[in-house]
Amino acid sequence: MEQRPVMVEPIVDERVIEACQAGDREAFRLLFETYKDRVFSIAVYSFSGDETAASDVCQQIFLKLLTSIGQFRGDSAFTTWLYRLVVNACIDEQRKRRRFLPFGESTPMSSIAERKPEEKHYAKVEIADSVQAAIKQLRPKLRMAILLKYVEDLSYEEIASVLGCSKGTVASRLNRGHQVLARKLVHLRNEVE
Amino acid sequence: MFSKHVTKELSAYCHGEVANDQSRQIAEHLIGCNRCRRQFEEIKLGVKLAEHLPQISAPDSLWPNLQASLAAETRTNENAARQPAPFSFKVWQPSFAGVAAGLLIVAAFAGLWLYLRESRPFWEVARLNGAPRIGSSRMEEKGRLAVGQWLETDGDSRAQIEVGSIGQVEIDPNTRVRLVETKPTEHRLELAQGKMSARIWAPPHLFFVDTPAGVAADLGCAYTLEVNDQGIGLLHVTSGWVALQLKDRESMVPAGATCATQPGIGPGTPYFDDASENFRQALAKLDFGYAVDIPDLYSPLEVVLAESRPRDTLTLWHLLARVEGNDRTRVYERAAALVPPPDGVTREGVLQLDEQMLELWKERLETTW
Repeated sequence: MEQRPVMVEPIVDERVIEACQAGDREAFRLLFETYKDRVFSIAVYSFSGDETAASDVCQQIFLKLLTSIGQFRGDSAFTTWLYRLVVNACIDEQRKRRRFLPFGESTPMSSIAERKPEEKHYAKVEIADSVQAAIKQLRPKLRMAILLKYVEDLSYEEIASVLGCSKGTVASRLNRGHQVLARKLVHLRNEVE
Repeated sequence: MFSKHVTKELSAYCHGEVANDQSRQIAEHLIGCNRCRRQFEEIKLGVKLAEHLPQISAPDSLWPNLQASLAAETRTNENAARQPAPFSFKVWQPSFAGVAAGLLIVAAFAGLWLYLRESRPFWEVARLNGAPRIGSSRMEEKGRLAVGQWLETDGDSRAQIEVGSIGQVEIDPNTRVRLVETKPTEHRLELAQGKMSARIWAPPHLFFVDTPAGVAADLGCAYTLEVNDQGIGLLHVTSGWVALQLKDRESMVPAGATCATQPGIGPGTPYFDDASENFRQALAKLDFGYAVDIPDLYSPLEVVLAESRPRDTLTLWHLLARVEGNDRTRVYERAAALVPPPDGVTREGVLQLDEQMLELWKERLETTW
């Protein structure tokens, strides 16, 4: 699985969204290309590294986006609207899967790391692997706050809007998430500082 | 002092999500509150770890699969209602579609390039005198120093940098500095040449200055740092503490003390500014082998020991790890005569550089620094 540093790509503007609403396929392709990795990342982390599940839910998200983009009125930022869709789709899918899976069963996150064993030589990749594994163990509410902050680079206000909670709650979830990560991965202190 | 504990605000503080006034209050509180500072170190580690969370590329199959689903959905809708689907693909002329896609991609990359260029983190800079330059442009009254950019002053110009919300740096004439990094968990400046004065009201280890001969790490303080054209540095601390480090060699410099640093050697031994001239000259010879005016009859170490006062145990404490054998024993004996070590600190332990004992003794010595 290819991993790369988080990068914000603000190339979707009002015109692109309006074109999508008018049924412009190329505009939708542009929107898809802009957000596919970020949406996929959230899905992968939400499903503990299960890429098949993440691909399925991504497809559902973009189909839903396409069919409902006409309802987007610009009351909030487009990204807020999109990530609400992503978060809700991930939660719904997790609920469905929980009915069929024994508790806790999922593809181990470590499978991501196992796909490119040669990269294990690099300290950064090892840190990233450890962080991914620790993220998997976070409570869903803490995990989603961390993902929206670090994968999507959203502000506290944007995260609050996506999750439908207050900025204080976002701060509190991030605080708790950071503490859990630090305690689980304290042995990596020298590597990251 | 801001007395209310700040543990709940620490992530927001790290992410720059609190107002400037509150940020300053939190920083001040952290300097004085061990409990919150421990929490801050933990949160900061969590932030640094989370920053390693990579974005994962979606598989190439996602778009073809999506197209197939859309086509299937469109067919279903058409068959069911014989009406246009909410979103139906139009008939595409390949050449037009190709050109349009190409233009969109070019526009997207141009937009991305412009955005990344404009969205690089920066510090605000104010002109104090003359015409400082940021990059290749002359500064107006105000300017922005982005990550990677150089700020240069000539013989007549001076500038002041706002270090996020954690402090200020004044840049003297004939100085070159570069903003290396600015993020909630680390602010880093490079001083290539010249002189700067920093006032930082942040918790320890948030603000760093790289020089050709070591890194100055702020421990909550005010200081001046100079680098000459040979890369030799001189740190003078006016408030708090600064750590000066090159590889494994580190000097802890408190207010009222100075420390030189040389490329390839690293920081010398810190000394108080009111130490005797002989003391300072002998120390320069001991640290860097400078030719100085002390009688050949005495070794530099003998002069340092003979001239030292209780306050100069700052220098002696650092020297313990920098000299060996009989010299270390002599340094120990002189320091112990000036300020006896506390219970639990033994001569043997100190001579073997037992870290815990050295720290315990340092705590006692600090009362004289």
